Amino acid sequence: MTQRRPHPTRRTALLLGSAALAGAGLPRFAQAAPFSGTAIDSPFFVDRVASGALPPVAARLPSTPRIIDLEALGRQSGRHGGNIRMLMGDQRDIRMMTLYGYTRLMVYDLNLDLVPDVLESCDVEEGRIFTLRLRQGHRWSDGSPFTSEDFRYWWEDVANNKRLSPGGPPQALFSANELPIFEVLSETEIRYSWKTPNPVFLPALAGAQPTYIFMPSGYLKQFHERHAPKQELAQRVKENRVRDWGALHERLSRMYRPENPKLPTLEPWRNTTALPAEQFVFERNPFFHRIDGQGRQLPYADQVTLTIGTSSLVPAKAAAGEADLQARYIRFDNYTFLKEASKRMNFDVKLWRRAEGAYFALMPNLNAIDPVWRDLNRDVRYRRAISVAINRKDVNKVIFFGLAKESGNTALPESPLYDPKFVSLWTQHDPALANRLLDEIGLAKRDDDGIRLLSDGRRLEFTIETAGENTEETDILDLLKQDFLDVGIKIYPRSSQRDVFRRRIVAGQTVMSAWAGMDNALVTSDMEPDALAPTSSAQFQWPRWGQFIETSGREGERPALPEVVELVRLYEQWRVSSTRDERRAVWLKMLAINADELFTIGVINSTLQPIVASKDLRNVPDAGLYSFEPGAFIGRYMPDTFWFDRPKADQQESKA
Amino acid sequence: MLIRYILKRILLMVPTLLVTSALIFTVINLPEGDYFETLAAEMQAQGEKADMSRIEFLKKEYGFDKPPVERYVYWVAGLLQGDMGYSFEYQRPVREIVGDRLLLTMMVSFATIIFTWIVAFPIGIYSATHQYSWGDYGLTFLGLVGLAIPHFLLALVFMYFANIWFGTSIGGLVDPAYLNQPMSWAKLRSVLEHLWIPVIIIGAGGTAGMIRALRANLLDELQKQYYVTARAKGLPPGKALRKYPLRLSLNFFISDIGDILPSIVSGAEVVAIVLSLQTTGPLLIRALQSQDMYLAGSFLMFLSFLTVIGVLISDIALAILDPRIRLQGAATK
Amino acid sequence: MKATTLSHLPPDGAPLPHEVSTAPFEPYATEAMTPEQERVYLASQWQLMWWKFRKHRLAVISAVVIFTIYAMAAFAEFLAPYHYTTRNTDFIRAPSQSIHLFHEGQFVGPFVYPYAMRLNMENLKREYEIDTTRPEKLRFFCKGDGYSFWGLIPGNRHLVCPPEGGTFFFLGSDRLGRDMLSRILYGGRISLSIGLLGVSVSFVLGVIIGGIAGYYGGRVDLVIQRIIEIVQSLPHIPLWLALASILPPSWSPLLVYFGITVILGLMDWTGLARSVRSKLLALREEDYVVAAQLMGAKPRRIIALHLVPGFMSHLIASATITIPRTILGETALSFLGLGLRPPITSWGVMLNEAQNINVVALYPWLLYPVVPVVVIILAFNFLGDGLRDAADPYR
Repeated sequence: MTQRRPHPTRRTALLLGSAALAGAGLPRFAQAAPFSGTAIDSPFFVDRVASGALPPVAARLPSTPRIIDLEALGRQSGRHGGNIRMLMGDQRDIRMMTLYGYTRLMVYDLNLDLVPDVLESCDVEEGRIFTLRLRQGHRWSDGSPFTSEDFRYWWEDVANNKRLSPGGPPQALFSANELPIFEVLSETEIRYSWKTPNPVFLPALAGAQPTYIFMPSGYLKQFHERHAPKQELAQRVKENRVRDWGALHERLSRMYRPENPKLPTLEPWRNTTALPAEQFVFERNPFFHRIDGQGRQLPYADQVTLTIGTSSLVPAKAAAGEADLQARYIRFDNYTFLKEASKRMNFDVKLWRRAEGAYFALMPNLNAIDPVWRDLNRDVRYRRAISVAINRKDVNKVIFFGLAKESGNTALPESPLYDPKFVSLWTQHDPALANRLLDEIGLAKRDDDGIRLLSDGRRLEFTIETAGENTEETDILDLLKQDFLDVGIKIYPRSSQRDVFRRRIVAGQTVMSAWAGMDNALVTSDMEPDALAPTSSAQFQWPRWGQFIETSGREGERPALPEVVELVRLYEQWRVSSTRDERRAVWLKMLAINADELFTIGVINSTLQPIVASKDLRNVPDAGLYSFEPGAFIGRYMPDTFWFDRPKADQQESKA
Repeated sequence: MLIRYILKRILLMVPTLLVTSALIFTVINLPEGDYFETLAAEMQAQGEKADMSRIEFLKKEYGFDKPPVERYVYWVAGLLQGDMGYSFEYQRPVREIVGDRLLLTMMVSFATIIFTWIVAFPIGIYSATHQYSWGDYGLTFLGLVGLAIPHFLLALVFMYFANIWFGTSIGGLVDPAYLNQPMSWAKLRSVLEHLWIPVIIIGAGGTAGMIRALRANLLDELQKQYYVTARAKGLPPGKALRKYPLRLSLNFFISDIGDILPSIVSGAEVVAIVLSLQTTGPLLIRALQSQDMYLAGSFLMFLSFLTVIGVLISDIALAILDPRIRLQGAATK
Repeated sequence: MKATTLSHLPPDGAPLPHEVSTAPFEPYATEAMTPEQERVYLASQWQLMWWKFRKHRLAVISAVVIFTIYAMAAFAEFLAPYHYTTRNTDFIRAPSQSIHLFHEGQFVGPFVYPYAMRLNMENLKREYEIDTTRPEKLRFFCKGDGYSFWGLIPGNRHLVCPPEGGTFFFLGSDRLGRDMLSRILYGGRISLSIGLLGVSVSFVLGVIIGGIAGYYGGRVDLVIQRIIEIVQSLPHIPLWLALASILPPSWSPLLVYFGITVILGLMDWTGLARSVRSKLLALREEDYVVAAQLMGAKPRRIIALHLVPGFMSHLIASATITIPRTILGETALSFLGLGLRPPITSWGVMLNEAQNINVVALYPWLLYPVVPVVVIILAFNFLGDGLRDAADPYR
């Protein structure tokens, strides 16, 4: 099995496309200009700078820091200080800090454009030669220089090391199954060149869970067989009670999950607490590369503390004022409770929107083992009948106060690919049409209870399985149950555990399942349309077909429906398409096929996500889109620019 | 005789523990799938992509490609050398993870046991000496109510109102502000402010059981001839009670060691989850749910070991106190 | 019994009358018994138990309570005003409607005041106002939601129905507008029977295994003792967890229900087995057992016919005390997300859904299922106490 490829984005692909078109054009992502003002340091470091433990702020910033013009974003420039308290359910959740920090080589900005962040600039030639330029004088959080050596170290000593990466470099580094030529041009310039275009490379770097193509070599070399003296390394392996140097290196070098306080980072806050702990204190990174328009080094907040506790208590704790910024583990049905508490406490509850294609979708398993059910699921008339039998308005009214959107599983209005036609196609509530379609298929015969009979005499009754993520799923299914009964279909909702749920679907034992729709519905035509065609065994409507494509035909089954074959063809066309118009055409075709064929039956989307934010915390947007990809939940909204508007005394206290 | 009895009991522990280990290993491996599948499913729910080749690599790294028997032998061999294995989820040795939480767990458990005894003792004696009085009914009722309300609900309600009325922070054993601070009076006070909730809730269930056991044992003794004689010869009731029946009825405390030992280190799982206590109970439940098999298996094994040791201690203690027990079961058919 | 045998003596301290019998000496005559004594001596063991049991007033009350609750669960279809799956999406999370008798000082008969629901879009809360101007009379022995009694007899008669065109949520409604009272009644069926079935499983296991150990003794006993020790040494909740997660996901809800019952029962047999064993060890040396053996009775017959009846009462008493444990076990399993899951409705499932800070703060009536759980557990405990006291003839 291979890793699913991350989504490329509009700008990249646009650049690739126009480059191919223009032939000689040399697209360039650049925004940095040397900073000439006076850098302002946080009082947090006064003592350390005075004692000489830290250099002054001007010496800690790269010569061209990234300047965030907050006023242009409609936000206010702020003050340093304060501690943002957050609640987490598990100590593995400290990876949320890597999401909320959202410091990547390239990042998505608020317009979903791909812009350099850690990089000073990036040139792309012919969509296949990528020249990355680092910021002069950029340093890791421990003060060691961040240079092309860190890229070389990762490429040669980690990604291509048999012990550390037995599977070879990550997927984003492959184009047409080939690895790039890696060149170090100077201390701040690196180049990756492929023979063919690699549209997924830059988006992978900007992913919420990014492909890291560099590592802090200064720190990690002491654990690497090639760089550390044998005896010392053996000693370290023994001290850490691990099997060999590889396990040690692996354990100490996790950048996505910052468990190792000693591992240098580029993120706005660095972890200072070793595992295990009930509370993790993240402290501002003295060498962070972003500043505001006035020259204040970001982040504004000096600390972030994550307190670990049972996740089901998070709403209660947030309501008791124990969090300054909280979205994780808070669900829509906590809103009323939080809103009432907010009248007494010092926080606001904002309502953002979730950005899935469907918050809840039915997935008929086109690869079910039972031939009768499989054929039925593959009949588009049946899927349409199921879809129009659903009273989406009722679901919206009962569960979401009518605030969500009744929609198929498709792009959201905020996406440039949005088409109201896809939203409404086959999503009207029309039991008469459903009955007619079902009769047409040959399911007209009914038993005494009014349940339709299958061709082999069995009743048209089946289990819809859920992973039991929340009560909303069971509630929606309970509502659907009556809708289906009205057209002679009997369903039994059942929830199981996530892994059991997944396994049963892939094995074809599940006839229909309920899950969320497209993870990312804020799509642009230059993002990879992998959710719309079989590309992975984790797609519950066609797991075996997805597996087939994913493993290049080694496992799974070859897609058998002509429409699905067409989707695969379109997907492959996208992968080699050269113009943005062509890509847009492919996307629209794929969205149209999916909307018309209803391989996934979306019920509701644009559901609301409450965000708890302290009344003193400025710059937290009142409205936003909440999704893992693109933008790492709140990461795209740059929490490093959130600041506390509090009198000084309070800030001292909250720091304690 | 006594030494032989003890030796025999110790020898018997070996097969018991072996069978237990096999049983635990089987039970843990019974559910389909393994930790890595759980992980992949969880990551998918989050929107993250699990790197399948990496998961394959990890599976091999931890010997999941080997047959179960081989893994079992490997695990038991490790246990014998005091190596409890490695937790996949926490990526650390099991011993460290359990060790980190043991102190807190034991603190909660001891507080609970003390609470239970303080409450159960007087009630038990009163109930036994005033059988079928309304006082007996009332107190037993009180003890039972704690047992009857599902703990997870009681815990949630207590916690919520403790926050509303007394401003106690929700969940955990100390206010988050003190978490990374050294022990101080203020911190201790904060701990005590939080501790009473789990102690009362966990203790409530145990209290009912203890009241009942004490009452039943005392009632037995109170009807025996020697007590009647003691009363008849004019001993005041309090003294008569203290002198013999109470002492004898305490035997069950000793025989309870087998149950108490493991519960001290595991704590009450469900209450700890609700109250977000960083004790070993939630760790174990979570490990079972995510199929983190060495963490779950080794910790369960540790608990069983403690039970067996506890039973051994109580048997030996009883044998020393009461020679009849040594001879029991000697007769064969 | 002391009191009865000594009753014909004069009070303490009074002089004993000197008495010489003039009747002829009859060596074969026995002392005549008072009718009361006669009753005691001739009473069967069960009768003795009953007399003893009656003295435990709480136990008697508990027995009545238990019987009532079981009967209510048995006739849930008829007693519940709604079917437990009936949704009323215009009345989501409505608070309880109390029954009134008098409207503006006048007797109207049982009636309720209707609600007016208002969506509070600021808080996203459904707020209900009671309209006290319009009493709506409840209907009795009326036609309502259709059901099939015990899955066999179709019907639609209910003891009480909501007023014509109105609602009757005596204990409020849940997040889909389902009537809590009806759900509690139906849910009781699952929770209560799980208690009984679970205990039957452990009872059978306990008697058989304990019987074998106690009767044969020796090596068999040793092995069984170790097995009991092992099972007891495993902590319950983790074991439940592990066992519950191996129930095949393809099982129907009914099978899952039985599976959970068996799992709950599997844990509790050890205590019973132990007491059976120790009783047997004591009893098997009795003369009547030796006599039976000499007459060639087989062990199975001896155990079943001669030994077990000797302490059956005792066993029943111990079993009664384990029923509430099983009921609580079901709620704990539901809490951990294993065991029964919606749409199956049991008290454990309902409590698990209510175990949520929103409910405690905003919709406390969803916590009502805790009341029957507490009542039934208390009742079973008192009943068990009473039975145990009664079963022991020496007290």
